[in-house]
Amino acid sequence: MRLGFLVDLSRCMGCMACAVACKAENNVPLHSWRLRVKYIDQGEFPDVKRHFVPLRCNHCDNAPCERICPVSALHYLPNGIVNVDHERCIGCASCMMACPYNAIYIDPITNSADKCTYCAHRIEVGLMPACVVACPTHANIFGDLDDPESEISKYIKNHRDVMVRKPELNTHPKHFYVRGSTVALDPLASERPEGYTIFTEVKFLEHIGGH
Amino acid sequence: MIGAEVTFDVALPKIVWGWLVSTNMWAKSIATGTFLLGIYFIKKYPEQDNFFRKWLPILGLIFIGITLLVTVLDLHHIFRFWKIFFHPHFTSAVTLGAWVVSAFVIVLLISFWSWATGNKKLLDRVMIPGFILAFFSTIYTAGIMGEATAREVWVFPSEMISMLLSAMLAGSAAYLIIDALYGNILQEKVRRELGYILFGSAGLSAAMFIGELFFAKMHSEFSYEVVKVLAFGEVAPFFWIGIVFAFIIPMMLVGIANEYRRYRYAWIASIFALIGLWLIKHAWLIAPQTLPLS
Repeated sequence: MRLGFLVDLSRCMGCMACAVACKAENNVPLHSWRLRVKYIDQGEFPDVKRHFVPLRCNHCDNAPCERICPVSALHYLPNGIVNVDHERCIGCASCMMACPYNAIYIDPITNSADKCTYCAHRIEVGLMPACVVACPTHANIFGDLDDPESEISKYIKNHRDVMVRKPELNTHPKHFYVRGSTVALDPLASERPEGYTIFTEVKFLEHIGGH
Repeated sequence: MIGAEVTFDVALPKIVWGWLVSTNMWAKSIATGTFLLGIYFIKKYPEQDNFFRKWLPILGLIFIGITLLVTVLDLHHIFRFWKIFFHPHFTSAVTLGAWVVSAFVIVLLISFWSWATGNKKLLDRVMIPGFILAFFSTIYTAGIMGEATAREVWVFPSEMISMLLSAMLAGSAAYLIIDALYGNILQEKVRRELGYILFGSAGLSAAMFIGELFFAKMHSEFSYEVVKVLAFGEVAPFFWIGIVFAFIIPMMLVGIANEYRRYRYAWIASIFALIGLWLIKHAWLIAPQTLPLS
């Protein structure tokens, strides 16, 4: 079994139900996110388009975070999920430096590295990840990539425009996007103006959760 | 349609590894550089070995102590650092580094005991393992940076060469400073050779940085953007002052010192070199972290 995610970006309407469900399910503290939805505006009025991109851990087959973690706090489960052992983490932040997807954060309460685990605790008892359940448009498709009959496998087979983020890094992500675009998936393809935008201040927080 | 801009994203920490990590690399360069050069000078100039047998362990222990202190302080779980020894994951250069540096500390303690008791044979016995451990203590951080695949400009083996040169630069500068502080106790030929090592390592380091900045092929948009941040962006002051302090000024001053036998210039060069080395390491560390990954 090799569990994976696929997001049909044409279905995502940026409602953030997934992000909220994730926070509620996993007790994710304020200022921290396991799953977030990035908005990108493209074009000039009246010819404009808004892209919504749910971002979470890619559970790479060749995960740099697992390799660099000095204490195996980040480790593979037999189903391919890259899980986190909070009790083992020493908080060196190497995983944050290794993850090309900015998917890992230091939890300000536990001071340990944390990230999306594909809701491993729910999978264990046969439930779907919280974000899948909450999505009103079924944009999040989750399942076994090794099973040709699973919805995700069929989706990947039937779509030509299956994309992953930063494929050139050979991390082999198990998180796919269809109907995406470079603007949506490449962090450098869009401008990030300083200051307030339509929704919020696009600004990084100072280092949190530690010294 | 033209242009695209991010209108909503959730903040994540920007600089994850900051000045504590820069200080770690800087102090480690001094600790390992003084050991590697110390062994070389003990072997080459046995008549002058008292100076190096004394200062090799003292400088080594002080600066490796700083390295270990800032490393532990940088952990979000300071009191869990021991887990790296009891739950090691040997694919990680962090783990390998922790083990190698710990072994290097033991060698330094033996070296210190050797100097304190006057038992020269003790240091002689640990010279070869010490040399190997100092070498790997210098380069393991390059391994970590190579594994930090999110920051594409930190590339092994160029980081490894850069760190070895940093060790030579820092080691020679530290010995020149100690020599000047204690009234030029080294023989002139030793002082000159230290000056040449400082000159050479500064020149080669500068060539690496400038070469990478202006002539290296950028394999990704990320690398290209990092170079822009380094050369013209928010990190540029650290970077350019670092280049001038660590490489340009020391090369000029050491050149004058060795050419005209005015060795006080070598002392000033060494001060600049050590300050500049910290700045350049800091610039190189934080520049890739200023770019968004999501």
